[in-house]
This record gives sequence, C-alpha cells and structure tokens, in this order.
Amino acid sequence: MAELPVLLERVARGERDAFEDLCRHIAAPVFGTVRAVVRDRPQSEEVTQEVLVEVWQCASRFDPGRGSALAWVTTIAHRRAVDRVRSEQRSAQRELRAAAHAVDYDDVAETAEANLDAERVRRCLRSLTELQREAIILAYYGGYTYRQVAALLEVAAGTVSTRMRDGLIRLRDCLGAEP
Amino acid sequence: MRTHRPEPHTLAGAYALDALTGADQARFERHLARCRQCAAELSGLREATARLAAAAAAQPPAGLTQRAVAAAAQTRQLPPLTRDTSRRWPGRHAAAVGSAGPAAGTPGRSSFRRAWLPKLALALAGAMVILAATLGLAARGAQHQLQQDQLNSHAIAVVLTARDATMISAPVSTGGTATIVMSARDHALVFAAAGLAALPSTSCYELWLMGSGGDQPAAMLPAPRRGMTGPVLATRLQPGDRLGLTIEPAGGSPHPTTPAILQIKL
Repeated sequence: MAELPVLLERVARGERDAFEDLCRHIAAPVFGTVRAVVRDRPQSEEVTQEVLVEVWQCASRFDPGRGSALAWVTTIAHRRAVDRVRSEQRSAQRELRAAAHAVDYDDVAETAEANLDAERVRRCLRSLTELQREAIILAYYGGYTYRQVAALLEVAAGTVSTRMRDGLIRLRDCLGAEP
Repeated sequence: MRTHRPEPHTLAGAYALDALTGADQARFERHLARCRQCAAELSGLREATARLAAAAAAQPPAGLTQRAVAAAAQTRQLPPLTRDTSRRWPGRHAAAVGSAGPAAGTPGRSSFRRAWLPKLALALAGAMVILAATLGLAARGAQHQLQQDQLNSHAIAVVLTARDATMISAPVSTGGTATIVMSARDHALVFAAAGLAALPSTSCYELWLMGSGGDQPAAMLPAPRRGMTGPVLATRLQPGDRLGLTIEPAGGSPHPTTPAILQIKL
C-alpha cells in the first residue's frame, strides 16, 4: 500500500476521485476491524461509513513522518469502533457478556478474507506468551479496556498493561522482521 | 484494582490498543505530551495494531463506499495544521473531530489540536450539562440519555459546540420552560423544553421561524419523554427572526393557526 500516503495527500486537497481510490484500498481493513469490535452488522456499516468520511475530513492531519497511512486510518477506525461499543453498553454488561462470548483470534480470522496479513499475524501472535496474546486480542478485537481485560483474565491491571506493551513490541518486531 | 496506578510509560501498549479510558487515558496523554520516546514507541506499536486491523480485513457490502464518497462530498474538510505541535498522532481527538468537524473554525494557530479540541470536548460536555440542568433533569441519567440519543445527531452536536453558541431560556405561557442553543454562524438552533403541558392526540406543538419573510414552519416537537421534549434542530435562521411555538392540529400546519405560546427574539 505504498500509494496510500500519496492518495491521502491528494484527498487533503479535496480531490474526490483520489478519495474513491483511497476507499478501495482502506474499506476492507476498516470494515473488518470495525466489525470485529462492533459485531452488529448494520452498526458496523454505519461506523465504517463514519470512519471513511472522517478520513476525508481529517486527511490534512495525516503526517507521514509519524507512521504509515494504514496505521493512521486503522487507528481512527478502531477508536470509532470502541467508542461505539463503549457508548452503547455499560462495562458491567459487557463483562458479563464476555464470559459467554470469549473473543478469539480464530473467530476474527475466520470471518476475515484470506489474506497474507492474517497468516503472518497468526504466526506472530503464536510467538507471544499466552497472557500477552489474550490481552492484546481482548483489547483490540474485543474492544475492552485494559482494566476490563484484567478483570476478565483475573490478573492485576498493572500486569495487563505491561503485557500489552511487551506483546505489541514483540508483535511489531515479528511482523517487521518478515518480508 | 481501581486504585492501582501503573507507571504511565507502561500504558503505551494499552493506549495503542485504545484500551485506556477516563483518568488512565488522561494520565497517559499528559505523559505522552512530555515524552518524545513514548511518542516514537507509540507509533511503532500503532504499526503492529495496523497489522491486526489488516488481518481482519473484510469487504464491506456493495454501495457502502459510494455512500461514503457521497457523504464526503457534503463534508467540509479540516484545514491542515499550520505548525506541527501535536505528538498525539493521530490523537485521541481524531474521533471528536469527526463527530463535530464542521463546527471547526479556521485554526489560525499552531496549538489547534492541543488547545481547541479539549475546549470543544469541554464545551460539548458543558452544553450538555447546562441543557440538562436547565431542563431540570436528573442530571446524570438524563444527560446520558441525551448524549446517547441526540448527540449521535451530528447536526445538533455542531450547533451545541459552535463557537458562537448562545443559550436562551424562556417560559412557555401554557406551562413549561423552553431552552434554545443557537449559532448565528450556522444559521441553526437546537430547541428543547421541559414540562410542556400534555396535549390531546389531536394536537401538537409546532415551532416557527417568524421573520420579515413570513412565518416558516421550523419543526414539529416530538412527544415528550420523561417530561422532556426534544432536542430538535431548526435550520436556516435569518437575521431578525423570532422563534415561535404554537399548538396546532396533529400533523402540523403550514402557517400558525393559534397565538404563539412562546416567542424568543433570536
């Protein structure tokens, strides 16, 4: 997706055809991420549309010196998704529900389209400790706060926060090390 | 567990996963603003989460992208930051920008993101608290309800957070209190009322913009919920307009047929 920064730059100048092109590249990761968190399909579609419009709106704020275009876009998408679930459900209800619907990477990967990223991510997730992996998956795909994750895994919050950081660093290195 | 406070630096992972809320989030963001190393680390962790996102990729249904493109065509873009001062890339506030973006003025200063967005959030929270308090609502539950039900409505949020937003309250002659938040720049106002007299099903409340061009129907008020009516949005205000409220036959009227029970000079 080397062309994403260039497209974003054009979108920032208000070029609508560039935005259409950009959407073709980012719609799938955005929708997939949102759906993993939100679950409900109509709401996921709604949030996805909001995210795409937000990308249009905020394109001038993308700074390639700070990270990749995909990271910028998916950060917006993930935030929007967690904002949606957090505004809708009280955390206590979510915690109860969580017991019944454990978040599983296989669930996410299964509904996602077969892609190289999914395979690499699966492999790299396997290289983490169990606690690192569970904490990251519950937070990212489940949309839980680290305190909720701590409650779910019955571990101290401080432990969860360090595991999340260590796990992401390991994941970053593992993914970055691969071609 | 509530009182447990991990070192802010160790929260970078949780922050990258959007797993911080409230005080935890504020604490990390304060730390982040002073810690260059954290900002660099955070952007690396974001690359990892971006791959988690890519791994979940799924094609949205046909038509969604077209709808987004059509919606974008009607959405004003934010101007670029003139000098880069924010380390919160892309910032917790990106979401806030999206939900109230068109309310943004032109940021003439470099500290736009840092200074303006928290103010926006504060103004929005403030407006909701004031609105809820003015309406005499049990603040917490009602405010929450308002936020959930109504702030989802983009246009209402835009008016409530407009820089020139002004609030006016006035009694309704048949009972109850009306409150409006108005933005002259957006030519729009948000109307809400508490304790309006109940009407028979054959009647309804109708809002009017009364000006030199005649009386224009602005909105029909919905049925009250827990004593509260609205908020409703009225747009296309003209300078010199007055806001009027009348009781009309159910379904509304093209022109007021009864004397106004509330008039506010805008």
